[in-house]
Formats: sequence, C-alpha cells, structure tokens
Amino acid sequence: MRFILKIWFALVAAALFAGAASAATFTATLDRDSMTLGEQVTLSLKFDGAQPQDAPGMPNIGGLQFQYVGPSSSFSFINGETKSSVTYNYIVTAQHDGEFTIPAMRANVGGQQLDCSPLKLIVYKVTPPSAAAVNSGNEIAFMKFTFPKKKVYVGEPVVGELQLYLRDDVQNLSGFQMTSATPDGFSAGKTVELSNQRRRVQVGNRIYVEIPLAMPLTAARSGTFPLGPFTASVVAVLPLQNQNGDPFSQFFNRGEQKQLTLATEAINVSALPLPEENKPAGFSGAIGSFEMSATAGPAKVTVGDPITVRVQISGRGALDTVALSTQDAWHDFKTYPPTAKLETRDQFGFQGTKTFEQIISPLNTDVHELPPLEFTFFNPDDGHYHTLKSPVVPLTVQAAGASPMPVLAATKNSPPENQPPQDILPIKEKPGTLVPAGTVLLAHPAFLAAQAVPVLAFFAAFVWRRRTDNLANNPRLRRRRAVAQLVAAGITDLKKYAAANQPDEFFATLFRLLQEQLGERLDCPASAITENVIEEHPVLRSAPKATLDGMRELFQLCNQARYAPVRGSSELNSVAGQFEKTISQLQEVKV
Amino acid sequence: MKGRFFHLACALLVMLACITKVLAADVNADFAAANKLYAEGKFADAAAAYENILKTGVQSPALLFNAGNAEFKAGHLGKAIAAYRQAEQLEPRDAELRANLAFVRNQVQGATLRESRWQNWVGSLTLNEGTLLTTVFFWALLALLTLKQIRPALAPGLRRVTQLAAVLVFFSGAVLALQAADHFRSAIAVVTSAETTARSGPFDDAQNAFTAHDGAELRVLDRHDDWVQTADNAGKIGWLNTNQVAVLPGA
Repeated sequence: MRFILKIWFALVAAALFAGAASAATFTATLDRDSMTLGEQVTLSLKFDGAQPQDAPGMPNIGGLQFQYVGPSSSFSFINGETKSSVTYNYIVTAQHDGEFTIPAMRANVGGQQLDCSPLKLIVYKVTPPSAAAVNSGNEIAFMKFTFPKKKVYVGEPVVGELQLYLRDDVQNLSGFQMTSATPDGFSAGKTVELSNQRRRVQVGNRIYVEIPLAMPLTAARSGTFPLGPFTASVVAVLPLQNQNGDPFSQFFNRGEQKQLTLATEAINVSALPLPEENKPAGFSGAIGSFEMSATAGPAKVTVGDPITVRVQISGRGALDTVALSTQDAWHDFKTYPPTAKLETRDQFGFQGTKTFEQIISPLNTDVHELPPLEFTFFNPDDGHYHTLKSPVVPLTVQAAGASPMPVLAATKNSPPENQPPQDILPIKEKPGTLVPAGTVLLAHPAFLAAQAVPVLAFFAAFVWRRRTDNLANNPRLRRRRAVAQLVAAGITDLKKYAAANQPDEFFATLFRLLQEQLGERLDCPASAITENVIEEHPVLRSAPKATLDGMRELFQLCNQARYAPVRGSSELNSVAGQFEKTISQLQEVKV
Repeated sequence: MKGRFFHLACALLVMLACITKVLAADVNADFAAANKLYAEGKFADAAAAYENILKTGVQSPALLFNAGNAEFKAGHLGKAIAAYRQAEQLEPRDAELRANLAFVRNQVQGATLRESRWQNWVGSLTLNEGTLLTTVFFWALLALLTLKQIRPALAPGLRRVTQLAAVLVFFSGAVLALQAADHFRSAIAVVTSAETTARSGPFDDAQNAFTAHDGAELRVLDRHDDWVQTADNAGKIGWLNTNQVAVLPGA
C-alpha cells in the first residue's frame, strides 16, 4: 500500500513540476523590420520559462538608439503545466538611414546562458518632394520649414515656422505627429499650431490648405547646425475613387485613409557664442530685450529687520533663464535668495514679466541708502550688452531696540494678502502670559474630580425629586411623617409639662398624641380614636400584647386624670417615658 | 488659634505673589535681552537665550514664537518647526505663527508629514480650550437637568435650552475626544539635525531605511530606549535616535 502511495506522489509531483522543469528560451523580435527615418519600432526580448533579474542591456549600435519602456509578463497553468514568460520592451529610433543589424544577444538567467537570433532593421530616408512634384498637384500633403534668422546667438530663443500643406481634396486629417528628433545643437519647445492662421493657397495647379505650426528653438551651443529635415507622420482621409454608381455611397462614404510621411528641407543655421568683449561682470545669462522696475520697503527699519526688494523685468527673450545677479554694492546688507514669478504673454514664454522678490536686511546703522540694483542682459538684435540700474532708495536704519519692531511690507503684523511671504514675520516684543510648561487640564486630577460635582448635584436633586414626588403621591406616608414630627414635638411638650407639673395640659397632649398616632396607624381620623379601637380594630390584633396593654393603660390614665387628683412631676415623667416606649412599639406595628 | 492661621495664610499668599512678580520680572528682562540679540543679528545666541527661559519651566506663545524665529534665522529648520508647533498648541489661531510655520515648512526638503483637514480643524482650538468649552457645556447641561429636578414647573420652558446644551456637549465632547486622542496617543518627531538616516532597527549598526532632512515631520509609531520608530507621509518606516529629533505631542 505504501509503495503505491509513493508512486502516486511521484506522478503528481512530476505532473506539477513538468512545466517548471521545461527548458527556458530567449527570443528577440521587432514589431516591423523596416521604417522611415524619424519613425520608431518596438524591440521585444521575451524570456519563456525563466526570468532575468534585470532588463538586459542593449548593445551599442551606431545610428540606433534604444529606450527601455518596461516589462510585461504572463503566467498560465493548463492541465498541470505551468508556463510563464516575461518580455522586456524597447523603443528603437534611428539617427540616419541604412540597414542595421541588431546582433545576437546573450542573457544569463539563473546560471543558464540563453541566446537569441540577430535581427535586421532597414531605415529608409525620407526626402521632401521636388518642386516639380509639388507643382504638379500630385502630392497629397507636404511640409516646409522657415527660420527667420541665419545666425543666432547661443541662448537666443527664436520661433521657426513649419508649414503643413494639405491638398484641397483631403477630407480630414488626423494623427499628426512629429517623428524627427530635436535638431542637433538646439533645444526645442512644444510645436503648436498658430491659431486662426489657416489659409488656402494655390501651389502649382492645385489649391492647398496651409496650416502654420510654430516651433520654438533655442541654440544650445555654438557652431553651424542643420535645422531639419523635420519629419512627421499624418493620416489623411481622401474620397474613395470607385463608388460603382451607388447613390448611397456618397452618404456613407468614410473615405480612404492614407498614412503619409512628410519631410522638410534642412536649413543651416549658425549659432554664435556670446561676445566676451565688454561682457559686464554682473551678466547672469539673460538674453533678449528687457526693461526693469524696482521698489524696496520699508524705508525705516532697525538693524537686522527685513526689507523687501521687488524687481520686475519685462520684455522679450529667454525669460526663464533671467536671474538676478549678486549685487556687489549691497555689502552692508545680509541678502537672502530671491524668489521669482514668471508671467508670460505669449504661448512660447518668450514675452512677459518676471518678478523677483528678495529679502535683505541692513547690518549696521551706517546704512543710509539702498545702492542701485543692476541687471545686465545681452540683446541679440544689436549684439551688445546692456546694464539697467534701479534708482537709489534712501533708508533710515536705527539701532536695535531703539524703536518698535517694523512691519514687513504691510501696515500690520500679518502676511500680505494675495502675495507669497518672502520671509518669516518679525519677533514679538512682549512675552505675553506665561504658563507652566505642560499644563493640560484634562490630565489634572483636581480638574477631573471637579467634574463629579455637577453629576453629584444632579443625582442629589434627582433623589430628592423622587422622594418629594413619592410623598406627594402617598397621603399615608405624608401623614406618617407629619404624625412622627407631631409626636416628636409632643414628647418634648410632655416633658415640659411634667417638669412644670401641669397635669391637665400633660394628659390633654398625651391623649391627642395617642389619637394622632393610632389614627395614622389605623388610617382613620384622629378624632374617631377611642380606647375601644384597641379591642376592635383588626390591624391591632397582630400587635404585641405589651404594646396593646401599654396603650390601654395610657388611655386609662388619660381618663383617670379628668377625675383624679393632681399628680406629681415624677409620676408625669414616668408616664411620658411609658408613652414614648409604647409609641415607638406602635410605630413598628405593620399595617 | 483661628487668627494665627489667618495671618499665616495671608503671609504665604503675599510671599507667593512676590515670588511670582520677581520671576515674571526676571523672565521679562531675559526676554528683552534675547530680543536684543535677535535684533543685532546674533540669532544663535538669541535662540540659546530663549531656550534658557524655556528651561525655567515657563512658556508662552510669544516666547516659543520668538524661539522659532531665532532658530530659523540661525538655520535650524527643525528646531524652528518644533518651537512653532509648541506655540501652536498654546495659540493655534495666531495668524503670524501659522504664517511663519508655513513659511519654514516650505523650506524643508523631502517628504514630510502634513496634518489632515480634520486635524487642522480640530487643532484650531487648544486642548485646554476644548476641555474648558466642553466643561462649560457639560456643567450647563447638568445645571439645567438639576434645575428641572428642583423646579419641575420650569421643565417645559427649559426643554429647548436643555436639548441645545446636550447637542453642544455631544459635539464639543467628540472634538475633545479627537483632540485628546491626538495629544495623548500620537506623537510627532521633528528632525533637528541637518540630514539624518533612519535605521531599520533601533541600533546604530542597523541598515539604512531612509534619509530625512532637517525640519522633516514624522509620525512616531513606537519608542525603544533612545530610539523612536517613525513613518513619513510616503509610508517609509525607520528608527531615529532621539538626539536627532524633537518629539512633540500630536496636537
């Protein structure tokens, strides 16, 4: 039996791990084996049954560039067989036309060497159509590129214009995409269509729609560089030629889609370095044509207090590279790095205003003015450096502690509205109310105990209310309490009368108290109580005999007192004691 | 005998008042001296002077505010934030304080903890203010309930006020519960050294977990000897030595 189980276990294990044990493979594929210059292809490196730790490095192939875009993986478990694969994807772009070979690659996966086959990629050159072809009207679309200058300075922003021409029979255009790389030696901004500038023009024998596109370019280094050829891909929709006389086809005709690759001629442009001659020391790289305005405040401060210097530089040029240089004349001030805010007036960011705010603080009381702020820029239009200066700002600087703390660019000690703060607000002059550190009421035992006061008060009131209500709703209880009070007061009176030897008042009070107490016990009017109730009333049958005897005796004493001679104080005191004892026994009788 | 006790109590009270006055006068003088150092641009000295006042066991929002300013000017972002946060716990609605705290926080590099909206809302009251407010509503509610027991005839007229008091007790109590939970159960560590490395365990040789910059605010998860386990907003967890951070209550 055990032997059979072992065989079954071995079979199941073999079935489960059959997939895992299968040989690993490595395959390289291109999504297509040819493209035009400027287009891209995807290279996929697929590993079946194994997974390398990292994406494989690509070989260095002149003219080809590889950009890793990420992995994808798949896993399947079918009929006990597991299959897993991971694919590493790369975007391949070509820098020139020709036939390229991606050589066989080797990957080390878990100590196992895997090889893939070499791949071939043909890159075709895109050439702009000839003038004759354009004039013939056979071109569905073509592109031209114009650049306003033949010579530019390094860092000078210039907007080139790309003109896209579409033949008038093109029904629709979609998927326009620039496929060429940024021209060497230049940095390019985003290409945008110039709005509301489309127009129809006649080129040769046909009418074309001209779509102008602006391409901002800035020379990054000096030298002569070709701008272009710029290439683009676009899908044009043309009317179907063969409609077979079907009248409905013109209504449902979606046209014929054509993928087009367009290219421009290259233009050589010289990028000149900025002249070193007469270059001011304070030049910080601003290129363009600018104006400057500056303000500073407050003008009356204490040593160490902040002064906000606000500088606005407006004009045309590479505004994003405009920066304030270190002001050598401000040696008597502590300066903080300025903040900048750029507001542009065109879509390329070449025109607008850059606002700087800088905090400075005077270091001593010898400072009487803020020296002029200098801003230097290079104007490529005239090829010269220019330096702008702000006016001198007179200052009054007082010694620390000589005056109240100043206010930073505002009339009160608060951050100015709608403006980002440039520095912290100044310190406070008075320490305010001092408290012991770590005073937390919630953790103070006395405070917590005090919270019991209202709770106890409420419960006391609640209990009192219940008792009061019970009393109000229970006349017998009310009477019992009233009689108890009456008896208590009566006993005092009895002792007083006994001491004063006043037997008439004594026995009158005694009789009344007996009536009241028995009336309360028997729940009947006090005036109806006589000695007979002791014998007749059913409630008193359960009373102890001593109690009944005591009451009977007291009644008899009261009756005798009306006829008997005057008794002494000691005898009256004895009767009062007997009364007290009997009454307390009577109060114990259950009714 | 009674007269003697009365005289003794009076003498103690007068002595206490005198000591308080003398202490307050000392603090005022020290505070002014620290302010003078600040005005002269001696920010590190000013920060030390404010710190000395705080070491006497007293504090005030203005004192902590100035300490924060001095620390910031001296280039200590973390210590400035710690001081501002402590001041914020005493006076959370001070616009100048909030402005300076926001300004300094903007200078901090890297990931840092930010209060959620409800924490900001709850934090607009100090814990003591929340406690007093809840206490006032609670006492008012119980006073009304007690009055209704003593004078039942007033009950119909007091119904609306009692309901309002009950609602106020409920809501202020809920806010107080949140504040108390934040204050007593959570803590914040503010990095006070220029750049510090959080470790994967509470010992110096542990592996690096992440790097925190001066002024980074981190949530404290646990403590062990001289180490606090912290987490930043991105969820990174690591141990920092307590001499690299200032640990503050959550609210």
